[in-house]
Amino acid sequence: LAHGSGGRETEDIVLNLIVNLVPESLRSVPGGVGLEALDDGAAIPVPGGYMVFTVDSYTVNPPFFPGGNIGSLAASGTINDLLMMGARPVAALDAIVVEEGFEVSKLREITESLIKTLAENNVALIGGDFKVLPKGQLDKIVVTVAGIGFAKKLILDSNIKPGDKIIVTGPIAEHGALILALQQNLEPKDLVSDAKPLTDLMLPLIEEYGDYIHAARDPTRGGLAMALNDWAEATGTVIVIDEEKIPIREPVRAYTEMLGVDPLTLASEGVALLAVDASKAEEVLQRIHELGYKEARIIGEVKKAERHKGIVLLKSVTGGVRILEPPSGEIVPRIC
Amino acid sequence: MGRASLRLLISGIVQGVGFRPFVYRVALLSGVAGYVRNLGGSEVEIRVEGSWGQLRAFLRLFAEKLPPPARIEDLEIIVERWEGIRGFRILPSSREARRRSMIPPDFAVCRDCLSEVLNPHDRRYRYPFNSCAYCGPRFSMMYTVPYDRENTAMRDFPLCTGCEREYRDPWNERRFHAQGISCPKCGPRVWLETIDGEVVETRDPIREAARIIDEGGIVAVKGIGGFHIAALASDDDVVLELRKRKKRPTKPFALMALDSDAAEKLVYLDREARRVLESPEAPILLLPRREDAPVSKYVAPGLDTLGVMIAYSPLHYLLLSETRDKFLIMTSGNVHGKPMCTSIECVREKLKGIVDYVLNHNRVIVNRVDDSVARFTAGRLVLIRRGRGYAPTWIRLGFRLPREVVAFGAELQNAGAVAFEDKVVLTQYIGDTDDYDTLMELEKYLKWFVEQYSIDVSKAVLVADLHPRYNSRRLAEEWASRTGAELILVQHHHAHVASVIAERRMKPGVRRVGIAIDGVGYGLDGSIWGGEVIVTDLASFERVGHLEPQPLPGGDRATEYPARIAIAILTKLMGVDEAVEMAVKLGLVRGLPYGESEARVAAIQAARGNAPLSSSMGRILDAFAALLGVCYHRGYEGEPAIRLEAYGRRGKLLDDVFAPIRGNMVDTTRLFKMVLEALMEGVDRRSLAYTVMWRLGEALAELALRALNNAEDGENVYMAGGAAVNDVIARAVEARLSEEGVKLVLPRKVPAGDGGIALGQVAVAASMLGTS
Ligand SMILES: [Fe+3]
Ligand SMILES: [Mg+2]
Ligand SMILES: [Zn+2]
Ligand SMILES: [Zn+2]
Repeated sequence: LAHGSGGRETEDIVLNLIVNLVPESLRSVPGGVGLEALDDGAAIPVPGGYMVFTVDSYTVNPPFFPGGNIGSLAASGTINDLLMMGARPVAALDAIVVEEGFEVSKLREITESLIKTLAENNVALIGGDFKVLPKGQLDKIVVTVAGIGFAKKLILDSNIKPGDKIIVTGPIAEHGALILALQQNLEPKDLVSDAKPLTDLMLPLIEEYGDYIHAARDPTRGGLAMALNDWAEATGTVIVIDEEKIPIREPVRAYTEMLGVDPLTLASEGVALLAVDASKAEEVLQRIHELGYKEARIIGEVKKAERHKGIVLLKSVTGGVRILEPPSGEIVPRIC
Repeated sequence: MGRASLRLLISGIVQGVGFRPFVYRVALLSGVAGYVRNLGGSEVEIRVEGSWGQLRAFLRLFAEKLPPPARIEDLEIIVERWEGIRGFRILPSSREARRRSMIPPDFAVCRDCLSEVLNPHDRRYRYPFNSCAYCGPRFSMMYTVPYDRENTAMRDFPLCTGCEREYRDPWNERRFHAQGISCPKCGPRVWLETIDGEVVETRDPIREAARIIDEGGIVAVKGIGGFHIAALASDDDVVLELRKRKKRPTKPFALMALDSDAAEKLVYLDREARRVLESPEAPILLLPRREDAPVSKYVAPGLDTLGVMIAYSPLHYLLLSETRDKFLIMTSGNVHGKPMCTSIECVREKLKGIVDYVLNHNRVIVNRVDDSVARFTAGRLVLIRRGRGYAPTWIRLGFRLPREVVAFGAELQNAGAVAFEDKVVLTQYIGDTDDYDTLMELEKYLKWFVEQYSIDVSKAVLVADLHPRYNSRRLAEEWASRTGAELILVQHHHAHVASVIAERRMKPGVRRVGIAIDGVGYGLDGSIWGGEVIVTDLASFERVGHLEPQPLPGGDRATEYPARIAIAILTKLMGVDEAVEMAVKLGLVRGLPYGESEARVAAIQAARGNAPLSSSMGRILDAFAALLGVCYHRGYEGEPAIRLEAYGRRGKLLDDVFAPIRGNMVDTTRLFKMVLEALMEGVDRRSLAYTVMWRLGEALAELALRALNNAEDGENVYMAGGAAVNDVIARAVEARLSEEGVKLVLPRKVPAGDGGIALGQVAVAASMLGTS
């Protein structure tokens, strides 16, 4: 089961069972971005820019949660993946599979949320598919949304450079902490999912600072830990993060502490992680605040690797420095 | 005829301690002829010819006048044919000896040097850096081998004519060819500066530093292997201020006393303890605190012991003698969890906000060496931390290694090792390598020793712990992929037991029984072990018994707040709701930052199997510490268990509380239930604490005894692991074993905890490869 949680194991499976089976010449189209990048989406060059594509299946237990449901989650997730490539979302297609016996009223609520979220963000729903599977062959519902966008210029993770500042646009782990708490049968009164499209934030940023935003990512599965490790590994740099500066809301901190999980490994569904050119970082941060994301912070920076390449170092409040590992399925205590 | 020719082969600490000049003098005094020379490694060969009377005189003087830091491990006397050698000579070392001689450790100031410092008529009166062949820094100031002045930090201080004369004079016992000597004219200087680097104008910086400390100031003191932080230990406000500044709420502070007499006002000292304090190793020794000790209760909260060392350099002695109390807090000059500072730059950066002043000097600290820590367990001296005075003395094995080995240790309180021939050189105590900077220190010192002992890493075997998330293992994997060297992973508790067996120079291939008890080690089944009885022939092992695995709800969080473990066991006994209710009733919820909600979370995690399991002794002791209200938070490594030991020390053994054995497992849930019931009946908590530790030890001893039937060494049980130094547990194990005439063997030369694990890793890896 660890293989779907978005950590090292997921990466292994994706590489072994998918990427490596595709002939190398067919992993992308000429001049585009394809499978190997393992970025948020794919791109095909067109006159004046790029068509950007993304697809993601969503399963979440429970499908309804404070702050949204699987429908709004899927729509925002897909929109955000396009935005993180530097694209303006244009259209979407959906595919919904439900388990036999799933209440129609609930299904309606989900599709309504999905469509409403797309509409609010000016994204057309131009196609779809719907299936029912016999009871027991599926856990409630799976929602898949494919998205199409247009980018004048792509924002690609591979552009990260030493010196870049890392900005996180809001408090992290909101969605992940909520879902985890619900799954543990707790009643998390004060937790709300942050799932939302970041259109209002990212479109102005892409427009105004597209050249200075070297990378963008929505830290969903695997959280900040996964996203930062991907970046460091992909670019052979060292990313140094100041734990104290990472915004985390108090109730989220409380639940993650009680559960004994690291909030850095939990999903955010309405937060962007940006690597911004040092010369513009403060300015970009300022702009993010103006756009209403008041809790955005610079949490660290990219450094040239000295002894070790591709690692993330976390400076703790007490002054210790530990290697922030990508999340892994097994939780093994290390303390003696 | 009354004459003979003898060859003495001596090994141990016999180089870098004025050993050959000493033999030379003893030979001249007794009138024997012959020679002395360094052989390979740590061996010295002495050849003596003379009448029986002369030889007797030689041997008597040899034993009487042995330089204090010299340690003789082996002495072999061979009767040779008479050759009629004339005169006595110091021969040049064999080439082998230069390549691989033992790097001498740092020695505490000797009596002779101290009396010079205190003698107003001596030219070294009040000289803070006085040393001789018998004492002073070695390893901490060595850039490279061999130990010659030009390879040490003393190369910055050329000898003056006075010192030069002493250095050349064979009749100057303590200074002839002594590499580190100096005097006020030619040696290092000491001065006082503010934390911002402003020099304080004063005639006597040491006296001024003492004055500042006496007035409640906090001063960094540059010592032998690093900087200390010195402060009054008798003043609550000062101690609390230091705790606040250092962000160190509960971890005990070490004390430095002027001498044993000053120490005796703080702790109970017997002859043996006094001997250890005054030894050249001069460790911090954990000793029972006197009820009337004038020491703030905040120095070691919740403990009945104090960690005390005595002034081990003239600088420390002069400083202490100027203070009002004659003892001070002398804690490592570091940021929590980080390596101790060895440079003024580090002090200015890291200790700003912690110290006000710095008592600085200009002798470079080349290698960081922390103070060693020792204690008595079941009447034996055991090391908790192996640093100054002990490291990097090598440990001889009972077999030769098939290949050279580099071992990376475990993770917390770590030390690595390099090994060659039949010798294992453990690095000094490095620290917790879960911290990245500390990990880099491990690498730095492993590289240093690899270089000093000319080890070819690509042909060597690398050894690391099995734990997939240990940084030390990652580092080893990196070395392996860079050099192509073979990497062997060794299970943690296997390595623990192997370290004791190896230390006693036992050979591989004999099945022996061991007990490994500690906080955490990655088990073969992917769960956390730590209360293990194993049978091992060194190369392989079998887990033949263990403590019952208990849930750790929230993983590392449960090790920080042990009430979570107690609640998990309660949940096993009575279900979620009642367990939470009981946790409230027992006050366990007070031990959790989020109180009852956290208790419920922990209970649910335990009930749903959403918690890692651990058979660790540390964790079950933690659970009992919480249950008995002794400790709810781990402020430092092992705190709950350490406080449980202190708490239970004066308890009595209760008959009807015991640890049942089911199959090959100690049923800690039932023990927990019995303790809970007794607690409800109002049974004395101290006795419960004592009984729990005793019964756990007894039960493991019982499992070990059963395993002996299946072992080839039927006389000994080898015990290690961080919890093996628990006095009550060790006594219980020993008591049960001795009923069957079996001996308990504890480590002597390396720490029982993870600081000694690299030795076991070497022994296991070598045995797997086959030894000769
Ligand atoms: Fe251990
Ligand atoms: Mg991106
Ligand atoms: Zn001396
Ligand atoms: Zn001199």
